[in-house]
Amino acid sequence: MTAPSSELDSHLAVDRGPDTLLTEVVSKSPMRLAVARFRKDKLSMVSLVVVVLFFLLAISAPILVAADLIDPLKNDTDLLDEYGLPLGSFGGISGDHWLGVEPGGGRDALARLWYGTTFSLSIAIAATIIAMFIGVVAGIVSGAAGGWVDAIIGRAIDLTLAFPQTLMLLALSAVGLAFVEEILGVPRGNPAAAVYVVGVLGLFGWTAVARIVRGQVLSLREREFVQASQMIGASRFRIYFREILPNLWAPILVTFTLMMPAFVSAEAALSFLGVGISAPTPTLGNILTDALRYADSAFLYFFFPALLIAIIVVSFNLLGDGLRDALDPKGHR
Amino acid sequence: MWAYAARRVIIGLLLLLTLSFVTFVLFFAAPVDQAKYACGKICNEDQIAVTEKALGYDKPVHEQWGGFIKGIAVGRDFPVDPELRAAAPDIVTHCAAPCFGYSHNNAKTVNELVAAAAPTSMSLAMVAVVMWLAGGVTLGILAAVTKGTILDRGIVGLTLIAYAFPTFFIGVFFLKYVVIKWEVLPYPKYVTIEDAGVMAWFTNLLLPGFTLALVFLASYVRMTRAFVLESMGEDYIRTATAKGLAARKVLFKHGLRAALTPLVTMTGLDFATLLGGAIITESVFAYPGLGLLTVQSSNAWDLPTIIGVVVLAGGFVVVANIVVDIAYAFIDPRVRLG
Amino acid sequence: MGMKLKRVAAAGAATVLGLTLAACGGGSSDDGGGSGNNADAVKGGTLRYLQHFPFESSDPQRIYYGVQLGNWRRVLYRGLLAFPMSEDPEVATTPVPDLATDTGTASEGGKVWSFTLKDGVKWEDGSDITCEDVQYGTSRVFANDVIIGGPNYTLSYVDVEDYPGPYKATPEQQAAFEDAVSCDGKTITFRFNKPWADFPQAVAGMMMTDPYKKSFDEGDRSKWKVLSNGPYKIESGTWDKNKGATLVRNPEYDPATDDPETLRLALPDTIEWTIDPSDTAGELFNDRLIQDTGDDQYAITTARVAPPQMPKIVGPVEDRYQNVLSPYNSYLVPNAKRITDVKVREALAVALNLNDYVKALGGEAMGEPGETIVNPSVSGAQDNPAFANDNDNDGDPEAAKALLQEAGVKLPYPIKLGYQKSPTTDKAMAIIKEGWDAAGFKVELEGLSDTYYDVIAQPDKDMDVMWAGWGADWPSMMTVLPPLFDSRPNISSTTCGNDYGCYQSEEFEALVDEAANSDNTEDQIVALQEADKVLGETYAYIPLEITKFNWLHGSKVTGFTTTPASNSYPEIGLIGVAD
Repeated sequence: MTAPSSELDSHLAVDRGPDTLLTEVVSKSPMRLAVARFRKDKLSMVSLVVVVLFFLLAISAPILVAADLIDPLKNDTDLLDEYGLPLGSFGGISGDHWLGVEPGGGRDALARLWYGTTFSLSIAIAATIIAMFIGVVAGIVSGAAGGWVDAIIGRAIDLTLAFPQTLMLLALSAVGLAFVEEILGVPRGNPAAAVYVVGVLGLFGWTAVARIVRGQVLSLREREFVQASQMIGASRFRIYFREILPNLWAPILVTFTLMMPAFVSAEAALSFLGVGISAPTPTLGNILTDALRYADSAFLYFFFPALLIAIIVVSFNLLGDGLRDALDPKGHR
Repeated sequence: MWAYAARRVIIGLLLLLTLSFVTFVLFFAAPVDQAKYACGKICNEDQIAVTEKALGYDKPVHEQWGGFIKGIAVGRDFPVDPELRAAAPDIVTHCAAPCFGYSHNNAKTVNELVAAAAPTSMSLAMVAVVMWLAGGVTLGILAAVTKGTILDRGIVGLTLIAYAFPTFFIGVFFLKYVVIKWEVLPYPKYVTIEDAGVMAWFTNLLLPGFTLALVFLASYVRMTRAFVLESMGEDYIRTATAKGLAARKVLFKHGLRAALTPLVTMTGLDFATLLGGAIITESVFAYPGLGLLTVQSSNAWDLPTIIGVVVLAGGFVVVANIVVDIAYAFIDPRVRLG
Repeated sequence: MGMKLKRVAAAGAATVLGLTLAACGGGSSDDGGGSGNNADAVKGGTLRYLQHFPFESSDPQRIYYGVQLGNWRRVLYRGLLAFPMSEDPEVATTPVPDLATDTGTASEGGKVWSFTLKDGVKWEDGSDITCEDVQYGTSRVFANDVIIGGPNYTLSYVDVEDYPGPYKATPEQQAAFEDAVSCDGKTITFRFNKPWADFPQAVAGMMMTDPYKKSFDEGDRSKWKVLSNGPYKIESGTWDKNKGATLVRNPEYDPATDDPETLRLALPDTIEWTIDPSDTAGELFNDRLIQDTGDDQYAITTARVAPPQMPKIVGPVEDRYQNVLSPYNSYLVPNAKRITDVKVREALAVALNLNDYVKALGGEAMGEPGETIVNPSVSGAQDNPAFANDNDNDGDPEAAKALLQEAGVKLPYPIKLGYQKSPTTDKAMAIIKEGWDAAGFKVELEGLSDTYYDVIAQPDKDMDVMWAGWGADWPSMMTVLPPLFDSRPNISSTTCGNDYGCYQSEEFEALVDEAANSDNTEDQIVALQEADKVLGETYAYIPLEITKFNWLHGSKVTGFTTTPASNSYPEIGLIGVAD
């Protein structure tokens, strides 16, 4: 199963183990230490560059579209043969169309992939933020409050994990879309589809975060500064959010980096199952889904979107690993 | 101990009840009029009402859910409309407990549908588990013992790349190129062991099994590698090595054993999830398992089947979790307090 | 039935398009001839039938897929009447007797119809087909609580009130029904509450009035059981929804009671009917047929050749390929509540670039620009002057802009265009948007999936133009124009029904009444041709394309052709296999 299975995230989030153990140098601050460690890891640095590059691509696409330098929506059927397939070799690659054109409409493949990256990453980021928000709040509350609150949140996590998620996303799309349209008042069509996809990915993705954060809170709870705040009479929840949250940024950053690529894949999987944003608005998922039909007649058109997704997934995962190793050299176990 | 086990089981049952109820509520809120959908194009409102009553969609949601629970507990008769059953006893279908419902769309009980589809999903899951476990553990150990070399990086990197490509892309690529264009393997088609023998059953599962295994392979390689390295760092292993035991013997005797428990746990949970159906792999390869059943029933708005499969798939996950928790509790008594 | 059977369309693949549609009607063959080698037509052998989607039922009263109605009429279920296996649309849309001795006798101005069963017609269990079987089959359609789905036109015609079908009926209700549909020996008489001039076409094309043996009926559980009366029977007796079945000869079938030359040659001894409902199956079937090895040489398929496969249809493969018009049309409906100015609707039609639209669908092998909503296979179809006299379907944004300026509307004129989404329609709609934007509209596309037809039936929707598809249930304009544009059966407070544009026209409805009340099909056709003109003048719809089918078959298949009676799918009644 590909789609939004949080099982996958947690797998890949499994610590790479103690092989990255470095000797602590007491004199430097932890932050500078982490940066130093990170910079020493070539793979992490490369993946950071790739990730930054993708963000730049994603940000530049709408600007280029606005400036009319790329146009992911312009049809040009003159570039197609009588069956709607691109004329010329390699899917119609030419000076004007570096990655060829899309079969059927003759739109520029590069422009669509570029702009599609923007939409795919935006969806993944939005979903990650929602999942992180719910997960962090639930994790802190659960770890800090303990007792029946902890138990209820624990059961909620179990319930969420017990849902066959892909199946529910698929089967519930009509219900979910209607909810988004009628209750939240989002316009029908792509806006509602985007909200639905982001919403469900976020709602199913928070459990892993909550578990990690809860564990962190449990261990922080015993630390001196928290106990000190309690002594001077600060309210419990104030302590948790004001004192504990700032100390959680490291696991939060790592989880964010590892969760995002999973949601890029999930968007693609949902497109394949017919849920999600539809063309002409491009996403990597809907381009790839369309390209499946041309798998043997236009191989490059079929391969490029999958390759982009793969690069995103690999680079974000490597970056996440590198960040974790740098920030928390002893590992979690 | 037994009290803990009993508590886990009760909580698991409550979880499944909640799961089924939530699913009912969600579908009840669907903007699609189920009865109108079933009735067809040229149905007027009276006809839709008749259909609705026959399928039981005229009842409030809690009553529909109650009927479902009752079916599981004591069995049920279909059609649900008692008047119709009384008027035409010949057309009544009895569905014995535990009854997961009746799919009008397939004219079969959900139990029959699930019984027909489950072996496919189970076969697929089994082959995939064997592949990713065998591959993951072997490659993981190999990576661990060659830590830091090109081989190590290559294993970890390539499995990560295989995970990174979308499953449906890999599946379609296999079908279009490996099967059709290059004719390396015959077109995979699900056959049962009874019909075609173990060999045919297995060879047909190779490609879909491999596609599915690729999703999990990367994480198992990394997990094995990490556990092996970690346990190799433990004092007792260092001692064993110092005592002069051969490196390989140490690895297999001590290192792997430590890694075994978490690996088995993870495998159990992943396997349980897959028993509920691998939607994408089954869709791409047209394997008639629970995943494909789900896709078909969701396209056809076949509510009873969807609910049956959701509860069943959720049940697998819940049971696997209970088994793991209780097993842990036996191994480590501290857990019971938690 | 139109493209409204969304349950399968939701699967999304382009190859599914058209196949999802249930309809009766037909198409005309482009090259006018079969591509199989008729000379070798012999009895015997095994035909392989490769199908890429599941049927909804194998119960005659619930069957609604065009391909199933057409093909099963030839192999398993004979009807009172049937359409001949002819490529000539005139012949193929004129019913001939099958189980009945003649094509029926009408009286009381088309309100009463009677048919007499032939002697010697039998079920596969050896029992005679009786008038009571026809009566019982007809009655089952009324049980909306048991026989769910399937065509039910008879409900609004048969002269009976509050009849709930045979399962739940009180003795009085049953007696009332048996008055309306009565048996006298071998003669069955249908009494209707209004004239039904095209009833014989409905009888031949649908299975609403097919016989059903009461003792065989198990209600819902009969959905996959088959009791044949045709030349074949299902070996196991049960159709497997996701696998299909093996058809073998039915020894109780007597060709002497039949007209094999006209209705069913039944050449192969066995038909291996395989279903593979996966997304990739259709393409795979055609890949196999292109390669043409082993058993695939004896195979036909229901899956259209997809546009990306078209370049492979060359050389000898081309001899095994046919490209024909299907009975399905697609069209756009302006929302009459939102675009009240006819000039604006005309501008939409004028600016439409249909040639590029067809290209986006996969080129001329997949569709042909339409000049009316009435499919050429429907009796009396003719181009609508409102759409035929334009510039070769290239679209004229300038002329459209002039019309908009004439109408005095503010530009750009906002248009929300709704459609049922799939990767193919997504592209095709983008083409329409581009043409309209150039003419001074500002188009917003809205692709919906499962719920599409529910949304566009709403009376207060905010869409300005909607895409829709339709295929005639039988080759009469009565199953095209009134169901789609007559406000009276469609519009209520909660819905606009199939009249998605909520269109209302007294002039149009008067012509529909004239057609409905005529006791012969000729007058009916004339009135409905006028009605179509009214629709064109007011731009109640804008035709898009006539869907085309393209079929491959194995090299050992003989007599391969399509007919209007087979709904442009392979005509299984003529197909055989060579040694």
